Amino acid sequence: MSQSDKGGLVFGGDLDGYNSYAQRGNLATVENVAEEGKALIPSLSRVRMLRSWGGIMDMSMDGSPIIDRTHLDNLYLNAGWCYGGFKATPASGFCFAHLLAKGTSHDTTRQMRLDRFERGYLIDENGQGAQPNVH
Amino acid sequence: MASLVHCPHCGVRPRQEFTVKGAALVRPAPDADKKSWMDYVYLRENPSGRYEEFWHHSSGCRRWLVVIRDTATHEIEASRDAALVGQTDART
Repeated sequence: MSQSDKGGLVFGGDLDGYNSYAQRGNLATVENVAEEGKALIPSLSRVRMLRSWGGIMDMSMDGSPIIDRTHLDNLYLNAGWCYGGFKATPASGFCFAHLLAKGTSHDTTRQMRLDRFERGYLIDENGQGAQPNVH
Repeated sequence: MASLVHCPHCGVRPRQEFTVKGAALVRPAPDADKKSWMDYVYLRENPSGRYEEFWHHSSGCRRWLVVIRDTATHEIEASRDAALVGQTDART
C-alpha cells in the first residue's frame, strides 16, 4: 500500500490464479485486498474505492525468467518475468546485453536457460521444489 | 471472472467455491516419448478465447469439472463433470 501524489492510496493486488486476457481482475480479489488494507488501517473503511485495474503477466512454469539464445540463429529470448519484472529491468537489460555481445550468459543469468524445463533444472526460487504450474 | 458458476451437481454457485487447476489437457500414455511428456507438463497454448480447464469444486461437491471458458470475456460455455467428458454430451 502506498500513497500517490494526490493523496490517494494505491494497493497492490494479487494474481487472478487463472488464465485471463480480460485485464479486470475479479471482485473477490478486490474484496481480499480491501480487507487486508483495512486490517492495517481500520479507518480505511471510511474511504471510497475509486477504481481497480489489471494487466497480463507472462508466467513461466517455475516463476523465473528465461534469458537465453534459441535454436534459431540471431534469435534471443528474454521473457517469463512473471510479476517480478519491472524492478529487475536494469539488471535484466545488462545481462541480456552481455549475452548478445559476448555469446555467453552472464554469471547471474547462467541458469535462466530455455531448456532447463526439459533437463529438469527448474529454478527453485521459493524453495518449494521444482514444480510446473507453480503459479 | 464470472461471479456465479454452474456446477453440474450443485447448481449455480459463487466462483470462490471453486479452485481453477489449469488446462484440461489429454494425458500422454505412460510409455509416451520424452517430448510428449515435456509438452504435456510444461507447454501451454494460452489462447485468448475458448479454453478448456480443470476446475475443482473444493467448497462444494468436491468433484473435478471440465469448464469451457472464454479467457477474454470470462463467459462460461459449458461445465461438465470430468468423469463424464467424452462419454456423454452433458452441457449446462
